[in-house]
Amino acid sequence: MTPRAPESNASRPVAWMCAAFAAGALLHVDRVPLWASVVALGACAWRYAAACRPLQLPGKYQRAALAIALLIAVLATFRTLNGLAAGSALLVVMGAVKTLETHRRRDRFIVIGAALFLLLAACLDRQSLLRAPLYLLHVWLCCTALAVTAHPKQGLDDRAAIALAGRCLLYALPLALLLFVTFPRLPGAFWALPRQDEAVTGLSDTMSPGSITQLSESSDPAFRVWFEGDPPPPEERYWRGPVLYDFDGYTWRRRRFVNFVETPLEFEGPAYRYRISLEPHFNYWWFVLDTVKEPPQGPARVRITPDRQLVSAAPVFEPTTYEAVSHTRTRALGPLSTLARRASTALPPNRNPRTLALARSLRERAGSDEAYVEAVLTLFRTGGFEYTLTPPRLDFDSVDDFLFNTRQGFCGHYASAFVTLMRAAGVPARVVTGYLGGEWNPVGGYYIVRQADAHAWSEVWLEGRGWTRVDPTAVVAPDRLRRGIIDLLETGSAPARIIRRTPWLARVSQSWDAVNAWWNTRVIGFDFRTQLDLLGRLGIEATDWRPLGWLLAGGLTAWVLWIGWRLGRSPAPAPVDRLARAYARLCARLARAGAPRAPHQGPLAYAEALCAANPELGARTRPLLERYAELRYGGTAGNEYEMKVTAFERDVARLKVR
Amino acid sequence: MRLHLRERAARWALRRQGPDVLPVTLTRRRLYVLPTRAGLGFALLLFAMLIAGLNYANSLALFMTFLLGGFALVTLHQCHRNLLGIDVLGVGTMPTFAGRPGTLRISLGNPSGAARLCISAGPSRERAEETDVPALGTAHVEIEMPTSRRGVLRLERLELSTTHPFGLFRAWTWIHTPIELVVYPRPRGTRPMPSEGANRSGRLLRSGPGAEEWLGLREFRDGDSPRRVAWKAYARGAPLLVKEYGSGGSEIRIFSFDSLAGLDAEARLEQLARWVVEAEAHGESYGLELPGTTIEPGRGPQHRHRCLTALACHDSGGTTAHDAASA
Repeated sequence: MTPRAPESNASRPVAWMCAAFAAGALLHVDRVPLWASVVALGACAWRYAAACRPLQLPGKYQRAALAIALLIAVLATFRTLNGLAAGSALLVVMGAVKTLETHRRRDRFIVIGAALFLLLAACLDRQSLLRAPLYLLHVWLCCTALAVTAHPKQGLDDRAAIALAGRCLLYALPLALLLFVTFPRLPGAFWALPRQDEAVTGLSDTMSPGSITQLSESSDPAFRVWFEGDPPPPEERYWRGPVLYDFDGYTWRRRRFVNFVETPLEFEGPAYRYRISLEPHFNYWWFVLDTVKEPPQGPARVRITPDRQLVSAAPVFEPTTYEAVSHTRTRALGPLSTLARRASTALPPNRNPRTLALARSLRERAGSDEAYVEAVLTLFRTGGFEYTLTPPRLDFDSVDDFLFNTRQGFCGHYASAFVTLMRAAGVPARVVTGYLGGEWNPVGGYYIVRQADAHAWSEVWLEGRGWTRVDPTAVVAPDRLRRGIIDLLETGSAPARIIRRTPWLARVSQSWDAVNAWWNTRVIGFDFRTQLDLLGRLGIEATDWRPLGWLLAGGLTAWVLWIGWRLGRSPAPAPVDRLARAYARLCARLARAGAPRAPHQGPLAYAEALCAANPELGARTRPLLERYAELRYGGTAGNEYEMKVTAFERDVARLKVR
Repeated sequence: MRLHLRERAARWALRRQGPDVLPVTLTRRRLYVLPTRAGLGFALLLFAMLIAGLNYANSLALFMTFLLGGFALVTLHQCHRNLLGIDVLGVGTMPTFAGRPGTLRISLGNPSGAARLCISAGPSRERAEETDVPALGTAHVEIEMPTSRRGVLRLERLELSTTHPFGLFRAWTWIHTPIELVVYPRPRGTRPMPSEGANRSGRLLRSGPGAEEWLGLREFRDGDSPRRVAWKAYARGAPLLVKEYGSGGSEIRIFSFDSLAGLDAEARLEQLARWVVEAEAHGESYGLELPGTTIEPGRGPQHRHRCLTALACHDSGGTTAHDAASA
């Protein structure tokens, strides 16, 4: 190809290119540093301004210097170029530099390609339902920019380019849906995408009740649960997450490597089957109802630790769906191992001395561990303790301060104090964090568990029973078991309260959440299992990819034939005016009725032929054909003529040919 | 390398389609489509998106990939359709003098109801001009052909192509029709024009000064007598033309190849060409004598073309015709 002459001043393609790239940068505006967005938008504005009026663009060396400076800036911000956030930022700023050196068509193609790459990065970053329309609009914009860039001088104007790109995408839509449903999915990732600096939502693996003075009231969903069959009663809806062993007197921590042997369990009570759609929380653990027997069936490998946590091989970056079976009652079939006993009775030396003294005296008065647990719970019930989400800050010896001074706290305070009291008396105990409860969504038929439902409780080892759940919060605030925190304390933002109190708004809110749930499980979480499930609904029983392959091949052929038929034809000449179009419609209808007009026949000759062949049809059609001849060849322009044409159009539409 | 490949492909197409006689309608059978460089880049982008989407099991990325892939396939059809059904109505050439560009004029017709945009036509992909062909209309493309030597510039084929609408694919066709562009010898030389009968006795004037000789038609200018307007031609749809009569050259000149002793063959032809051009400009009658060819005296544009063509095609022992490859 011969190099094309520079067309720096063709402002239209430059404008479209800049729009496409700026839109791509805007998809990342809340993920990349502010300065990167400013650089990208500024470069687009500069490039566009330079196309419209004489304005200097940076030269080769200035551009190189700018590129190096921006590279260093990205490195300084992220300390790496690896990872999604750093990669996106790098793409944004390097694309911005590239827009400044677009002189030829080829350069503009590259920038539009970069804009599409930004779309890919945005898809990898977030796939929420609200953003999907933005992504589609971005694709449309990029395709339009492609059309304008390909033929800047001649060809399509802006509106035609937008319409054409939209039409082509619509034609492509059936194929996209077909491929989406049938294209083989891989079970796991070849290589992981490093992510960092993500906003951690939900539970962390540490708990310092003393430092928190305001608990999250976020109504963001943590996960959604579909039960097969009856759900457990509300007071048993404990969703287990990280288990915390290590206490330094102020902060509880999760043990990364649990090295003790698991005690075998006997599962009692009913089994609950359910499916959970977990929202991304950027940590490794999965939540399940109380105790599971087998690791859940899901997209990633997950193992059960000896303390019955579920730890996934990869952090939960995407909405993740898994199926599990749980029991809410278990019995240990053996003694607690020495290591586990040591871990679950350890307390920091010389901390919380008043608590230790209290524990010793209470234990001495109680005859057994069970009685001791009851005694401590009674202490909580009757000791003037108050449940609040805005507790005062606690002293260095946090349990002492809580038990003897403030006596105000939420689940974390009670679990921490309870486990400390247990351990001080030599009863193995641990803090379990997770969620409690769940709100029924009648639209989607599931329970939604929100971040505000986060909870902490304790488990104690009782001889003969094994680990037993004890929730000290429940004795202080019994309603917490049946109602969510937001509901319980009438907190939350004003709009949230209004929504909860207005039935139809609550219904809309539930519907929206149900749509999001569907999106997360059926679209975002679409995988091989869902593919087979969908095939099953279509009546195809499949266990491997072969039926999918046949469906893919058949659908692809049908689509190609359809597109070929739809687009492959050379468009027929369009009649030039209204009258001619109406006449063409009339002839087409008569042709369908079995009396086509021969090419040499004029309207009157056609009428004669019709009368001869089919007198009844001819009698009805003849006046119309004569009127056409008069309108066509009578040749009177003006208002009256237009009205006659309109009347003719109407009568053609009304004519019954059969 | 690429030129070579394209040349071979064009020859293959010639064997497949056979030679063409204008007008030609572009049918499905003779249209070829391949991705452009931008299209290959786009394919690479889609591949990267597909791999990323599969690897991270990212549904939205996969959907966007499939959507853009489908879009690319649709643009392939759009590109193909943009060329399908176009009529190549005719090809005309304007003769020129060696060293000056000649003009190739290609007429395209669009019998369909949709405009065809950005159709580029020319003897080769590098030497092509773009045009839009309106719905139910025609369009013309004029391509300047550089010339260097006298002779007949022969083009083996035309190429029509389009990358419209998205530049991802190029649809093209070859039309194998012989095209000849006459390249007159460059008019130069310093010898004086031979007067009447320099080499042999000229004939007497055929007419007296009063009887004017018909010279030809020219465009109407203000002040021309209405009696001289070529009304018949005007009625047929031609522009307003004026019949021009001249007093006729007072002399008849015969330009002879053999009279130019001392010059080599090409120089002689150039000198003759110059004389022809000058004599025509002065409205004189002239004839030409070449070895093997004699042109009786006359004048007017057609006569001039006849004489100059004879000079262009004169076989002086070397090659006279050059083909498209040398253009």
